[in-house]
Amino acid sequence: MRTVDVIIVGAGLSAAAAAKRLVDAGLETIVLERQKLPRHKICSGILSPRGHRFLLENFGPLPREVLHDPVSCRGVTFHFPSMVSMPMDFFGGTTPHLHRKEADYWAVKSSGAEIHDQTSFVGLQDNGDHVIVKARRMGEPVEYRARQVIGADGPSSQVIRAIYPDYPQSIPWFFVGQKFHEIIECPLDEQYFHFWFHPGLGHYTWSHARDGRQIVGVGFKSGDNFAKKHANVVNYLSDKHGVRLGEPLDDEGCAENFGPSLINRYVFGKGNVLITGQASGFLNMIGEGMSCALHSGAICGEAVVEARLRNRPMQEMYRRMIASEVRRTTDQWNPLKIAFDRPHEADFPAALMAMGWRDRAKVLRDLWSFIVLYKEFKWGRQIFRAAMQRPLIGGYSMKRWL
Amino acid sequence: MAKSIDTGTMISETFQRKVIEPSTPSAYSDSCHVGPDALLGIKRQQTNPTRWNGQSWQEFAAALRDHDIELRENIAARGTFATDAGGTAYGLPHGVVIARSAAQVSALLKAAQQFRVPVTVRGGGLTTEGESVAFGGVLLDMTGMSQVLHVDTDALTVRTEGGIFWHSLAEELRRHGMDYLSAPLNLTSSVGGTLGVGGIDVNSPRLGCSADQALSVQVVTPRGNIVECSDTQNAELFQRVILGYGQFGVITEATLKIRRYTPLRMHYFYYDSLRIAVEDMQLLNRNDASDYSGILTIMDCAVNLLVAFDSDEREAAFRANWQSHLRGHGEPGFALCMLRRYVLRPWKLPEAWFLFQRKRELFPEFRRSEYMRDGLMHDRTVVFSRAVWKFWGSKQMVIPDLATSAEKFVEAVERGNAVCRKYFPHYTLYCVGIKLRPEHKAHYEMSCIPPDAEGWAYGCEFEPMIGGQVYSRDYFQSFKNAIYDIGVDLGGSYYRFGGMMKGYIRRVFGDEVVDRHLAMKREADPAMILNRDVIF
Ligand SMILES: Cc1cc2nc3c(=O)[nH]c(=O)nc-3n(C[C@H](O)[C@H](O)[C@H](O)COP(=O)(O)OP(=O)(O)OC[C@H]3O[C@@H](n4cnc5c(N)ncnc54)[C@H](O)[C@@H]3O)c2cc1C
Ligand SMILES: Cc1cc2nc3c(=O)[nH]c(=O)nc-3n(C[C@H](O)[C@H](O)[C@H](O)COP(=O)(O)OP(=O)(O)OC[C@H]3O[C@@H](n4cnc5c(N)ncnc54)[C@H](O)[C@@H]3O)c2cc1C
Repeated sequence: MRTVDVIIVGAGLSAAAAAKRLVDAGLETIVLERQKLPRHKICSGILSPRGHRFLLENFGPLPREVLHDPVSCRGVTFHFPSMVSMPMDFFGGTTPHLHRKEADYWAVKSSGAEIHDQTSFVGLQDNGDHVIVKARRMGEPVEYRARQVIGADGPSSQVIRAIYPDYPQSIPWFFVGQKFHEIIECPLDEQYFHFWFHPGLGHYTWSHARDGRQIVGVGFKSGDNFAKKHANVVNYLSDKHGVRLGEPLDDEGCAENFGPSLINRYVFGKGNVLITGQASGFLNMIGEGMSCALHSGAICGEAVVEARLRNRPMQEMYRRMIASEVRRTTDQWNPLKIAFDRPHEADFPAALMAMGWRDRAKVLRDLWSFIVLYKEFKWGRQIFRAAMQRPLIGGYSMKRWL
Repeated sequence: MAKSIDTGTMISETFQRKVIEPSTPSAYSDSCHVGPDALLGIKRQQTNPTRWNGQSWQEFAAALRDHDIELRENIAARGTFATDAGGTAYGLPHGVVIARSAAQVSALLKAAQQFRVPVTVRGGGLTTEGESVAFGGVLLDMTGMSQVLHVDTDALTVRTEGGIFWHSLAEELRRHGMDYLSAPLNLTSSVGGTLGVGGIDVNSPRLGCSADQALSVQVVTPRGNIVECSDTQNAELFQRVILGYGQFGVITEATLKIRRYTPLRMHYFYYDSLRIAVEDMQLLNRNDASDYSGILTIMDCAVNLLVAFDSDEREAAFRANWQSHLRGHGEPGFALCMLRRYVLRPWKLPEAWFLFQRKRELFPEFRRSEYMRDGLMHDRTVVFSRAVWKFWGSKQMVIPDLATSAEKFVEAVERGNAVCRKYFPHYTLYCVGIKLRPEHKAHYEMSCIPPDAEGWAYGCEFEPMIGGQVYSRDYFQSFKNAIYDIGVDLGGSYYRFGGMMKGYIRRVFGDEVVDRHLAMKREADPAMILNRDVIF
């Protein structure tokens, strides 16, 4: 059995960031990845400027092969049912359109950690001073022994299941799917990521250009029919925006744990098992999860280093340190912050104020009817409570974290 | 040998392109595939260097063995140096070499140059931004060279090895009734490390920064040549090495100015306004009215101006001519002042309690009986250093700073104070003046001395009291960035601009100056191996 300091499950961006911190501090670290690397990852790949800066500061300039075409994205355009469109540029210039397959591999390799791909985490046993990790490599069972385990295995995390078997049932799940179309004619500016606040289309509807194709995606509560939802969006784009697309050439989809960061209900683990990245619930507004995956992953790695050096409890250290990233992410959902501060990396209030009052009224009305779509999850009161908490305690309550 | 150097320079061309990370947005945009405007608006940056890939390490290690240089590769030896006093940058060397002699350092650097192995020099390791942390390669521990070689009480000079701690040097000098001029207040910084970065003491308003007390130094250049340099001998190298952040050579020996040892006559004045305290301190400095001065705040409404003297005469002259100009209070007067403040603002009582506690703990530390004799303070460095570690020290020293000209200083302090207030419940500001030597202007280029400072430079260190609190590095970094942004805005400089903060270097000094220094560095260090993650 291999004995190491830390096992990280998953080889995504949060894993890469955590691995970098651990390896830098001299901890022997193995990254387990279920798939063969480099692996495909469904993602729009629009890295926020803060995420771009993180990569640059920790792994160096981005090589060309980690980018799709167009290589960059200038900002986000919001579209509303009343046919108002709001383009918003990112605060610091253009930002990368990441090719996740190559980018994640590049980052995790740059971290310096040892990588075991095609190795699937299946379970663990926390024995207090060490953890036994059970995995399967190409079908064969393997075991590792580590002082700490970091679950950086994305939205439907096996590591969370291992420590909180009931957790997946306790949160709403969404399905997001996208298809890649040939472009016949597309008036949507390819420099922007397009997003529709349209309750009739889905909970999350987007489109953007990639490698000569147009991606059309839609997210909805698990249980609905993707093909139907998608066809509906394609027709809408054609009717209302004059987007003419060929037959889809490819499609893909996955489950998403959208919600925990919105209501401050993160999972950070217990004992020697720490959860980070999207697994713990980090997702910014409009599903942007890479920058908070990177930052939370780094903090997770730092927490392990600090806790060991100072001989302090792992979970306490992690939770106190992660508070800054929780603030940053949950602020993006906080209505008071959105109205009076600038929690996002593009200026929504400014774009709103730049419009005539008629359009502004339309946008606010449309936004409201979009929010009503989420009523069934009963998040309203929790969001309100979190928003009130923020100025009072200078952050969000740790008591709501698992 | 000549042959190997030839190929060395040839290969180094490609090598340079590969390993030197552009550290700034402007440099990055040239090589950035994302777009020329990517990150233009996002100026604040940190740098967590990529670990050196270990290429040719085995050959290099063999070459060292051939030269009988002991290389420690076990994890315990390497782990000792995983971080610096800052505790936010981590990295492990592939191996550790303890410095023994200039000849040994020279052989090491020659091999490192040949095999392109990064060498990170470390004295006391009291940097805070990872400047003395090795991200792979060799860590050269200078503390192995810590002998005092010769004390000349007539010429008032000392010759010492570069790895010695100031505190040990002071101990040796005291046997001769002597003292160094100025050194950092922390006991374990080394002579070599300090000559490279600056060194500020409470007597710097009069005696200048520690680096300026060096009369000459023995340097091993990145190519491995052993060179003695001073204002008159190899002056250009001297200019680069002093305040050169270890870029242009390893300081193995130094000749320093010294002076007769004196105990201190201490005076403390208390202010409820930062601005007024700073103005008064500057008044003292301009008029050469004190031998030591500095500001330490407990809170921004409880500011201590410390003034001290080497002799009764200087103290008497101050009493006669300057004391009445100072607008600060004595202890009882200030207590009254505070009483009035909190009677009028009863909701701020917790603040008053904090002040009271702090006073109770802190003040006796500066009056400990073992260091006070006949009302005079002995061994000030020990007194201050103990207090620094006891009251401000933690596993992570997060102490960003701003250095400006005299004119801009009040604004820098007030703006930095506002940033501290936003980030931390309790913090201390430490402000001090630095007398400049006009003939050393060349030394000051691209250093902590701001380019526009005349006569004096002023520095303010912003020290959050972290205590048992836990923050993410990201939080600390945002704090540092907010402070450093003020420096960019004011056209100042910083004491700690290297390492993780090197992203600021081009913004502060401009491309022209940085590129000039980079060209000199490439010339001096073709494989870019010496302290490679610090500045460029
Ligand atoms: C359609 C879509 C579009 C998106 N668009 C954007 C966007 O434009 N910008 C943005 O910032 N974010 C976007 N996101 C979100 C972003 O992709 C995620 O938030 C981010 O990838 C999370 O990173 P992570 O490291 O936490 O997890 P992941 O990147 O999900 O990595 C988890 C890794 O763990 C591995 N793994 C899982 N289970 C196991 C196991 N049992 N054993 C071993 N390994 C395992 C997986 O194979 C995977 O490699 C999008 C997401 C989706 C679904
Ligand atoms: C608690 C605390 C208090 C401090 N107080 C003060 C203070 O009062 N005044 C002040 O000025 N500073 C202060 N500092 C900063 C610190 O003292 C300086 O950074 C110090 O001078 C560095 O000395 P060092 O020996 O620790 O150098 P190191 O940290 O070891 O190295 C500093 C830099 O110089 C290089 N280097 C080291 N030795 C050599 C050598 N022989 N030749 C060439 N390059 C070398 C290193 O690579 C590194 O880049 C304080 C720091 C801390 C943590």
